[in-house]
Amino acid sequence: MGLVQEIDYGTPASTSEKQVTLTVDGFTVTVPEGTSIMRASMEAGIAIPKLCATDMVDAFGSCRLCLVEIDGRNGTPSSCTTPVAPGMVVHTQTGRLKDIRRGVMELYISDHPLDCLTCAANGDCELQTQAGVVGLRDVRYGYEGDNHVFKKNDGAENFKWMAKDESNPYFTYDPSKCIVCSRCVRACEEVQGTFALTIEGRGFESRVSPGMHQLFIDSECVSCGACVQACPTATLSEKSVIKIGQPEHSVVTTCAYCGVGCSFKAEMRGDELVRMVPYKDGKANRGHSCVKGRFAYGYSTHKERILNPMIREKVTDPWREVSWEEALTHTANEFRRIQYQYGRTSIGGITSSRCTNEETYLVQKLIRQGFRNNNVDTCARVCHSPTGYGLGQTFGTSAGTQDFDSIEKTDVVMIIGANPTDAHPVFASRMKKRLRKGAKLIVLDPRRTDIVRSAHIEAQHHLPLKPGTNVAVVTALAHVIVTEGLFDEAFIRERCDWDEFQDWASFVALPENSPEVVGQLANVDPEEIRGAARLFATGGNGAIYYGLGVTEHSQGSTTVIAIANLAMATGNVGRPGVGVNPLRGQNNVQGSCDMGSFPHELPGYRHVSGDAVRDIYESLWGVKLDDEPGLRIPNMLDAAVDGSFKGLYVQGEDILQSDPDTKHVAAGLAAMECVVVHDLFLNETANYAHVFLPGSTFLEKDGTFTNAERRINRVRKVMAPTNGLADWEVTQKLAQTMGLDWNYQHPSEIMDEIAKTTPSFASVSYDYLEKMGSVQWPCNEKAPEGTPIMHISGFVRGKGKFIRTEYVATDERTGPRFPLLLTTGRILSQYNVGAQTRRTDNVMWHSEDRLEIHPHDAENRGLRDGDWVRLTSRSGETTLRALITDKVSPGVVYTTFHHPDTQANVITTDFSDWATNCPEYKVTAVQVGASNGPSEWQLDYDEQARNSRRIATLEAAE
Amino acid sequence: MTMQPASTEITSRTAAIIQELKGLEGPLLPILHGIQEEFGHVPQDALPVIAEALNISKAEVHGVVTFYHDYRSHPAGRHVLKLCQAEACQSMGSDAIAAKLKQLLGIGFHETARDGSVTLEPVYCLGLCACAPSAMLDGEVIGRLDDEKLDEIVAEVRS
Amino acid sequence: MIPRIYIPGDSGALALGAEKVAKAIEKELADRGIEAKIVRNGSRGAYFLEPMVEVATTDKGRVAYGPVKPSDVKSLFDSGFLTGGHHKRWLGAPDKIPFLARQTRLTFARCGLINPLSLDHYKAHGGLKGLQNAVAMAPAEIVKQVAESGLRGRGGAGFPTGIKWKTVLDTTADKKYIVCNADEGDSATFADRMIMEGDPFVLIEGMAIAGVATGATKGFVYIRSEYPHAVAMMQKAVDVAREAGLLGVNVLGSPNAFDMEIRVGAGAYVCGEETSLLNSLEGKRGVVRAKPPLPAIQGLFGKPTVINNVISLASVPIIMDKGAAFYKDFGMGRSRGTIPIQIAGNVRYGGLFEAAFGMTLGEIVDDIGGGTATGRPVKAVQVGGPLGAYFPRALFDTPFDYEAFAARDGLIGHAGITVFDDTADMLKQARFAMEFCAIESCGKCTPCRIGSTRGVETIDKIARGIEPEKQIELVTDLCNTMKFGSLCALGGFTPYPVMSAINHFRDDFKPAPVAEAAE
Repeated sequence: MGLVQEIDYGTPASTSEKQVTLTVDGFTVTVPEGTSIMRASMEAGIAIPKLCATDMVDAFGSCRLCLVEIDGRNGTPSSCTTPVAPGMVVHTQTGRLKDIRRGVMELYISDHPLDCLTCAANGDCELQTQAGVVGLRDVRYGYEGDNHVFKKNDGAENFKWMAKDESNPYFTYDPSKCIVCSRCVRACEEVQGTFALTIEGRGFESRVSPGMHQLFIDSECVSCGACVQACPTATLSEKSVIKIGQPEHSVVTTCAYCGVGCSFKAEMRGDELVRMVPYKDGKANRGHSCVKGRFAYGYSTHKERILNPMIREKVTDPWREVSWEEALTHTANEFRRIQYQYGRTSIGGITSSRCTNEETYLVQKLIRQGFRNNNVDTCARVCHSPTGYGLGQTFGTSAGTQDFDSIEKTDVVMIIGANPTDAHPVFASRMKKRLRKGAKLIVLDPRRTDIVRSAHIEAQHHLPLKPGTNVAVVTALAHVIVTEGLFDEAFIRERCDWDEFQDWASFVALPENSPEVVGQLANVDPEEIRGAARLFATGGNGAIYYGLGVTEHSQGSTTVIAIANLAMATGNVGRPGVGVNPLRGQNNVQGSCDMGSFPHELPGYRHVSGDAVRDIYESLWGVKLDDEPGLRIPNMLDAAVDGSFKGLYVQGEDILQSDPDTKHVAAGLAAMECVVVHDLFLNETANYAHVFLPGSTFLEKDGTFTNAERRINRVRKVMAPTNGLADWEVTQKLAQTMGLDWNYQHPSEIMDEIAKTTPSFASVSYDYLEKMGSVQWPCNEKAPEGTPIMHISGFVRGKGKFIRTEYVATDERTGPRFPLLLTTGRILSQYNVGAQTRRTDNVMWHSEDRLEIHPHDAENRGLRDGDWVRLTSRSGETTLRALITDKVSPGVVYTTFHHPDTQANVITTDFSDWATNCPEYKVTAVQVGASNGPSEWQLDYDEQARNSRRIATLEAAE
Repeated sequence: MTMQPASTEITSRTAAIIQELKGLEGPLLPILHGIQEEFGHVPQDALPVIAEALNISKAEVHGVVTFYHDYRSHPAGRHVLKLCQAEACQSMGSDAIAAKLKQLLGIGFHETARDGSVTLEPVYCLGLCACAPSAMLDGEVIGRLDDEKLDEIVAEVRS
Repeated sequence: MIPRIYIPGDSGALALGAEKVAKAIEKELADRGIEAKIVRNGSRGAYFLEPMVEVATTDKGRVAYGPVKPSDVKSLFDSGFLTGGHHKRWLGAPDKIPFLARQTRLTFARCGLINPLSLDHYKAHGGLKGLQNAVAMAPAEIVKQVAESGLRGRGGAGFPTGIKWKTVLDTTADKKYIVCNADEGDSATFADRMIMEGDPFVLIEGMAIAGVATGATKGFVYIRSEYPHAVAMMQKAVDVAREAGLLGVNVLGSPNAFDMEIRVGAGAYVCGEETSLLNSLEGKRGVVRAKPPLPAIQGLFGKPTVINNVISLASVPIIMDKGAAFYKDFGMGRSRGTIPIQIAGNVRYGGLFEAAFGMTLGEIVDDIGGGTATGRPVKAVQVGGPLGAYFPRALFDTPFDYEAFAARDGLIGHAGITVFDDTADMLKQARFAMEFCAIESCGKCTPCRIGSTRGVETIDKIARGIEPEKQIELVTDLCNTMKFGSLCALGGFTPYPVMSAINHFRDDFKPAPVAEAAE
């Protein structure tokens, strides 16, 4: 095995198509024009000494180790900042260069501690390596001079010395080891785009400073880790490396947090994870990371993780630890009993968007083949089901049209109902990079999210629309484009149905869809709508990125259709830089949808009523499949309350916390006779469970995740499952216990079955993924290398379909009792229901959900920042602390849903998308008032949760 | 010593300066000059206001302020005396001038007299190299410093 | 006719009491009930005569008196100085004063003669002809004329100005800039200051020509904060020029747009380096940028930018007025035209001396400068500011020419000369060169950031007699590292003063006698 070593070429690759040939130390090398001499040399296998250069950031030219000599040119230019030229003859090692390099290194080391043996970077220190490379043998200056190394010089206080900053939970900053190469500062600026670091002072006094000479934790730092990765010394070090030591082998795998699907090297020492380092070859993240993927993996070894199967008679009983065999036999027996007693359709299951494609495939297979019904659903129901519907109807596929690289060619970015800097931070960084280079930005969001305005980024148009008015506003954009003749007629005539377009155009042109009318009801300046529409239609390549702020509405599907209409009308589909791109919430939402997790679809989005499709599986699985769609999650819960649905297998999802109208979910679960929760922790749903099957983390299993750009990335096992079995093995054992003839030896065999039965996956196999790194579906005979960009020469469905998007206001209305609109979302440091991130040091950034409220609304209610407030809706009430901010408009309040003690979903209603039942999380009429403590419901819930988590202690005799 | 203004006052006065200058291309240095003129130094509380207004990070503003020696983090004395210490003045005995002045004022370079009367700073060239040694007192230039002129300067800053 | 009295408002003159003299003259005029017009001109640069008061007489032309003290004023009036009467301060016609008479004033032709803020004076003395010619020419022709004049950057690097301009002209962009580097931080230099205080319109004219020639529409003058008088004068001059249509959307009524702004530095010598100056103008830390990209291609705010020194730009109007050949005719070798030599430090006749390239260092120091002010022997001359080498008498035959100085491990730089007498301790001067580099280093590149501090420490060890030969070897190695390894001239040229001091004045680096050390 060993460590996966990535070559650092020193400077970023040039994208020029023109090639230049030069000679380096007698070797001929041909590289794209604009390539640095340093990179060209490395391509030829010649490593020029360097310290300040790294290929993640632009050349800087400060360390002066990489100097070279060029025939016919004076002096000794730095190879990182000097581009190649045709016929150039470069010498990387001459007597003069040796002297300079050794001289520079002597200076470096004269202000650097000599504690190499006890230094955390020992073995992974570029300064140490380069000192060896240049042959440094002596530091003639001595160590008694001016320095940043020693706390005291000759007994006197050394004011240049700075104490180590350990404020960040994951890494330390030791200024005494800093060589001021600025790599961290540049990584923070260029890669992450936060600009949290600077060099303060100048000359010998130059030091890296987070914020305004603050501690890291108090600065603008978002803890993405880019600086730590960039640091060539131990100045910025992962605390885990300090504690454990240098890793000795690594495995490339895929992050299990958001839908960006970053590739990481899991660096190990034995079976201990030392650190997660973003992988430069990862095509989704290109070597970048965020605080979650990079650092928040501690949950995998958290003490609250459940490692043994448990069962109990009643949910009021304490849990009893049992063997795997007993747990599975009990479960199988219960499911069979329930089906016998209440009928074939009285049980069902929920697949997880956090588990692998293979695991998801097995759960739906268990339900279809073993339960013999279609009662399977997934958490995508509550997030992106409208995407599937809306894009399916208009384009013919249920997925985003672009790869992430596409952003580099975008001229106008339109973000609707998405908060990428918090929810998809790594992609947001790539987006911000493009924006800093001049792309324009339009944001439709009730809140002034960080992407609207943050250092060096500012939206040209922010439309702070009233929650619930997406359809009207997006249609108003179309109104402007149509009535002002800004649509792309050639594209529409070639790619779409012209008659349908005309029908749609006559609809959007109606006065009621004009910015002037819509602006009134959405609380948006009509001129801003017009400006945004004109910019999008005429600004070059326009790309739309959207999130749950679009889908989680009663008209979520309509908005997705409106977005697709807008893209088609402006000709922004089918090439790099454009497209319609849902930003997926969880790591494998795309995959779980692809894998047939919905009650009406078999894998590959093929309806269960299709005989030909069912034939494929019936012949393979040897059973007759139900041709009627099964129950969706809300229907299962309704049926449970009605008494016709009694058993549920929930893999890796916490529906009690994440689904809307918590009281209704609780009632449904309470009415069931066998709830099986398969998870890492006793989550909130497990409070109502009878069987708990311990789950495995993404570090403990093989498989694949499919990210928001349809990229199938390998998940690789880096350590043995602490609970003994990977999730796919648990599902397989349950299936076997229920009498199914399953015999997968490895997840690759599951993928082989997926490929065999699903046309869009036909060429996918683990061997092929190994070779390609990753591929984007469709990947088959027609697209052997996968499909980065869809609909290139025509829409998947044939002609793109324009569909009218009538605006129907949600039934959830404000009134005297509930005058404010609540909308919900995420924050950077936490993920989803927080089950993972709350069990890491990420809580340092967000230890509680807060209610964001505009100063006017707060003043009207006599609220001050930090006050406890009662948040009430027609569904329920909760309490939390207020955060007064003008990021929300007057009349709108906002909270996150990461903490179960807040339970924001007690407040949300059971309204949902007309087409897909996706819940309307984003609009709830509420009232906010002062509070003096937790609500009664919170107290009850807290007690119930505490009771239901009791685990019986084993008898001493055992 | 003058009392430093409260932070809300700093914020509003800073905002007014920014408002006036933010239309310039590359407005940060002019703004910082304006703030230093307004407060006699660049108060830490002004930095986040600038960062917010110019849509740059607080770190960037801090990096810039600490780079330039002109920007003071604390108010100077009532008078600021800059004594040239560059070569042309050295050739005419600026070392001795500096030593004498330090002794007369009882402070070293980069220090402010206890009574807040004067801050003494070295400066590297005032462009008065043909009239060395030279100095600048509160923006007014003085050439061919000698004992007599030093006495005048000391008298003026103490008055 | 009302008598006209010229009293310089230049800060060199002010530093020597010109303001008090002006007050005294005003008072005397009032007391005597004489009506006269006082003009605050710039300085002619003969600082050993400042404050030099001139009177415009009807018969004798301008008559100069200096150096004038306030206490002289009464007797001046008594001696009839308003009509050129004799007095102990009488100097006669200023252009006959040898220091001035020996000069070739092209760039400084008007400096000290006119009211710096009077466009009429400016025009009356040949101003604006260059710009008038330029607006009638195609940009490429202007660039060609500047190139043919042989003008090289007067800031120190000596890069041909025409080539710089051509690159900017040939680079297409939606916006281009002219940036004037007025961050004159080198000790012994004050030519930029004198132009800005004495003839600001020549700089404005030069910048406008550069704008017309390259298609740049916006100019910035970046002036160091140590020059408050120059800042104030330039600001006023720009206002006057804008009012007169010399700047604005139609420069001199032509279709060319050009406007400019005055910006003030904040105490960073390194911002005289062109790329750090650009960073500073952009509102960033004034750290040096790596080149390429050249500022001419990606300069201010990433746009093509001409960045020239004050004197380079101020030399352009006369080239555009009198032609390339006229200008090129002066000078020697590849150093064409004139150069304002600034003679400073311990020198009898200190001041600005504009002359064609080619005089020897010895002529400048001994003949023009008249030796030391203290009357002691000249020991060393530093040419080119804090980054320039110390020349001993043995090298006084070096002609003032870029290449000739380079051949002797020196540089002309901004043409400042500091004279030291035999009391100078060259070890101390070498130490100061390192110390100055340490104080002013931007901190970006390692040789300069750490090397300068180590340089000071190592020279201190020599002074303390700690293994001096070993330390000299170390300093020599360090200078090699700094010279070839540094990113910009600050670290790269600091070795010049250090090594020249060591090489030419080795005696000053000898270990202190043991007896002394024991004391």
